[in-house]
Amino acid sequence: MQAFRTRLFLFPPETDHWLAILRVGLGFEVMLYSVSLRNDWCYLLSGITRKVAEALLSLESHFVPTLGWFVALAAQLGVREERVIFLAWLGLFASGCALLVGVACRFSAIAAWLLHLCAAKSGGFTSYGMDNFLTIGLFYLMLSPLPDRFSLDWRLRDWQVRDPQLLGFWRRVLQLHLCIIYFFSGLAKCFGSGWWNGSSVWRALIRPPFNVINPEILVTFKYVFPLAGVLVCLLEFGYPIFIWSTRTRKIWLLGVCTMHVAIAVAMGMYLFSLVMIVLNVAAFGTGLFPEQGKKIRLQPETTAA
Amino acid sequence: MRRKFVYAAWLALQLLLIISFSCRDTLHALAEGPTILPDSFKDVAHKAETVLSTSLGQELPASNPARQALATYLHVAGIEAGYNYFAPNVPSGYKLVFELHYRDGRVEYELPSITTAAAGLRIAGLLDYIGRTRSDPVREILVKTLAQSVWREHPDVEGVRAILGSIALPSVREYEHGNRESYEFLYAYDFSATSEPAKPHDR
Repeated sequence: MQAFRTRLFLFPPETDHWLAILRVGLGFEVMLYSVSLRNDWCYLLSGITRKVAEALLSLESHFVPTLGWFVALAAQLGVREERVIFLAWLGLFASGCALLVGVACRFSAIAAWLLHLCAAKSGGFTSYGMDNFLTIGLFYLMLSPLPDRFSLDWRLRDWQVRDPQLLGFWRRVLQLHLCIIYFFSGLAKCFGSGWWNGSSVWRALIRPPFNVINPEILVTFKYVFPLAGVLVCLLEFGYPIFIWSTRTRKIWLLGVCTMHVAIAVAMGMYLFSLVMIVLNVAAFGTGLFPEQGKKIRLQPETTAA
Repeated sequence: MRRKFVYAAWLALQLLLIISFSCRDTLHALAEGPTILPDSFKDVAHKAETVLSTSLGQELPASNPARQALATYLHVAGIEAGYNYFAPNVPSGYKLVFELHYRDGRVEYELPSITTAAAGLRIAGLLDYIGRTRSDPVREILVKTLAQSVWREHPDVEGVRAILGSIALPSVREYEHGNRESYEFLYAYDFSATSEPAKPHDR
């Protein structure tokens, strides 16, 4: 009985709606990421900074993909470093576009994961949390049973419906990973006094380069900071508990997404916020709202009169 | 059935790794920073972190194949680090200013040159690394790289002094009393037009 329950928990029958959200969301994220760094791409990823980051990474492992692999390969063919770095950007942008519309889904997901990973590792000093979450999302996306029925791949070719239990498994993986992420993030914050008295919220908002809002305006909301700090701790620490119950899931998902929107607006971290919202909505968002078919039944009858 | 077992076993291993590395990084943060826990907990956290690191093979030689394989998997899956962003407290940032010395005696000030806000977030991460690293050679190389890019935009400059400082943020009360962010000098490096190595000045 226990084994049956475990199997049902790990392999629940699932539609591919969540996978479509993940594919489209991460495709859009990869596109935005590429466009936002277009002008500084070569500056951040070429020259000594890249070489130092890759050298430090090689102390941990020689097998983590980096842009240095492509640069070394291209150098034997007489292609300059700048051109390789630009081609990596172009490949990443193209794979983001392909993911968005759903063309060659598996190949695009693998290409996006590989190129983003190379860029994140070669620019190790300039990488931040957003890169980690994008790697996580793309890693699960490329392993998931693509394509979904909303992709062009599905429309253009005669694909069979995928194993619904396998779709359920990969969604479960993403759900469990998000629970661990928020739990530890919230737990660590709970240990800092600044999140209880609001000073961490204030510091996060005025710390360069996150100081998007004028502190003169922020200071007028000083009484809100302690409440905001406690709310952040509660939302994150309580995530693995309250996101599973159908009664509290909608509130928690809305709360977490609102928190990420606030981070995007107040701290300028729109790429970070977008990837977190995409992961959350893909993991827990589908099935929360009634299907269109159920709504149609609420329409007034017109045949009888 | 067999395939499902393989999937379940992989998931168990994946979750174990995620939890282990998250625990390790949380313990590290608790051992390092000021927290609401008693100071005696720092020693406990430090010991627990060491035990966890050892059990995860992090104390093995870097060339050990098992450690290399684990590190590779962690990086490609994006699970090599914990999730204690801005926790337990929000750290202070760092600022790098370039003092440009021209031949005619003029002095101008520049910040690391980037064109977009997205790149600005990344440069802030780089400055955090430069400020926190204990490796003097790495710090110098990274500062020199940033200085070179400023130099390229100002080719007529005779010398560049790079000054790294940590940012002290005011509290709400201090801000209301007129205090603003201040800087504490950490390091300075002098670069000249000749190819001599930089001359570092510590605080």
